Amino acid sequence: MAAITTEGLTKHYGDVRANEELSFEVREGEVFGYLGPNGAGKSTTIRTLMGFQSPTSGSATVLGHDVTDRKAMIEAKRHLGYVPAEMGFDEDVTGNRFLRYQASLKGDSRSEELLELFDPPMDREIGEYSTGNKRKLAIVLAFMHDPDLVIMDKPTSGLDPLMQERFYEFIRDEQARGKTFFFSSHILSEVQKICDRVGVIRNGHLVELEDVETLLDRGGKRVSVRVADPVDREAFAIEGAHDVSVAGDERSPQPTTADGGESGDGARTASDRPSSADEPSGNGNSSSGGRDGTSVSFTFTGDYNDLLSHLVAYDILDLDIADAPLEDVFMRFYGEVDPDTESAAGGTAEAESSPEESADV
Amino acid sequence: MTLDVFRYEGEQRIAAALGLSAAFGLMGLAFVATAPLVTSDVATSAQFEQLTTQLPQPFVQAFGLESLSSAEGLLAGEFYTLFWSLFFGIYLAYTAAGSIADDVETDRMDVLLSAPISRGAVVFEKFLALLVPIVTASVVTPVVIVLAAAYIDVTVPLAELAVLHALSIPYLLCCGAIGLALSVSLDDADTARNAAIGLLFALYLFQSFVPVTDVGWLANVAPMAHFDPNDILLDGVYDVAGAALLLAATVVLVGLSRLRFIRMDIQ
Repeated sequence: MAAITTEGLTKHYGDVRANEELSFEVREGEVFGYLGPNGAGKSTTIRTLMGFQSPTSGSATVLGHDVTDRKAMIEAKRHLGYVPAEMGFDEDVTGNRFLRYQASLKGDSRSEELLELFDPPMDREIGEYSTGNKRKLAIVLAFMHDPDLVIMDKPTSGLDPLMQERFYEFIRDEQARGKTFFFSSHILSEVQKICDRVGVIRNGHLVELEDVETLLDRGGKRVSVRVADPVDREAFAIEGAHDVSVAGDERSPQPTTADGGESGDGARTASDRPSSADEPSGNGNSSSGGRDGTSVSFTFTGDYNDLLSHLVAYDILDLDIADAPLEDVFMRFYGEVDPDTESAAGGTAEAESSPEESADV
Repeated sequence: MTLDVFRYEGEQRIAAALGLSAAFGLMGLAFVATAPLVTSDVATSAQFEQLTTQLPQPFVQAFGLESLSSAEGLLAGEFYTLFWSLFFGIYLAYTAAGSIADDVETDRMDVLLSAPISRGAVVFEKFLALLVPIVTASVVTPVVIVLAAAYIDVTVPLAELAVLHALSIPYLLCCGAIGLALSVSLDDADTARNAAIGLLFALYLFQSFVPVTDVGWLANVAPMAHFDPNDILLDGVYDVAGAALLLAATVVLVGLSRLRFIRMDIQ
């Protein structure tokens, strides 16, 4: 039995088409990443799956229960955990009191263990909590009744990097125990880290559904090479090379790659990205004007033999080839703004990624 | 049914219930304490007599000016008509109006409904939590009044006072039910709360002034038309049918609110 299925799931809010004909399946025991820019319709799907709202058309099941069947959904929620994007907790009670309330509603078999792992200040009133502490409490509440499936709406936003790592580790452990996760995120690096499969949603449409591995394969490699002699961008215009940038080059394509793309939020750190190692050196060179040679970096999706035979012509000081970060993959495949689909969802709050996020690339 | 939501929500209302009871107790105390002064000096003065004959009759009735010549008249006409029925009614409608809409607005409802609980139970138990302030104030207030009256040697009819409080409970629940209906009908919590205050006050004025017109029967739509502290405390007339009607209206309003909440999208 699939943990979650959707069949032509559609949700419109008046004229806003938040979800259009979504059909996918989350298998038992997998970590499924639900990926897309802000406003793409991720939360809409989650709210429908949680039974908070009815679909306009189509259907969905959670743990085998129809999401529009109220009685069945009550049964489903005994085995379902939920980490909401907005943590609506009563502000004027202590964490302990709220935990007891939740325990009375859905049971509690492991809050003690969870509180050791993620330790929000339980004796303080929730109104005094930081976002990070609220997030920790939300995680404890979502897992305290030992659910089989956990639906999470951007669960790591607000957690510090250390806690994020602990959370990823926790999810991997839980997955090993047979739990299923449905996980919305706009942070590609975390999806890359813990998800088995991803569904990519854009403007309410499911545009991709595949293994993270496949997505990365299609994404190619990030190549950073430092050569002794000055080179021109055109020199690397070989087949399969994209977004070629030469350190200190004014025509660097960096800003344009950021345009259509979705990137992580501020919580993401440079160390989250596998390709981060090449960035400091690139930056360093651009300020020192090629004293230590010239750095060239690009994404490569062509034949590796072509790449290597091209490289032998240079005096290479340093070479780094790594999986392209999902950000780049995502940008290249889905980053182009399609005017047709844009206008379909347009004119609403369901806008593209905000300027600050684009600037973060 | 385990009433977990009721227990939690009720506990959250205890502080407000105690504060409210203290306020009503003090108010009742003040009325009893000043009763000798008002009943012997003010109400019997020539100016007051003149005032009540010159003011329009519905106005005199609406603000209980006719019954200021006795302690129970003062209590019934002023304290129980204005403070207990009108203000307490408004408070309950206001609180109920926030109970659902505010939780939806602040995303608390998402957290609550992610637990295995029916929406119907949520509405019902949140409404039931209004009983905490109602019952607390209904116990504290008459006790304070009776003790104060005994202390300064003013007579207050005990049986009538008890009946008045008993019959006020259906009335107060009905006010809460009006607020609850607004809470599931209006998207914005503040709008729902303001609408509750406005509606209750409008209904009070409506049932005060409309009886003298040709369409006087319309006053029956207001809950205040079925609960009259003056009748109970001064004349010993108990409108049990009115109380039953208020209870029935409460059941219908809560039922409709439940239905509406079960079917709505929570956004």
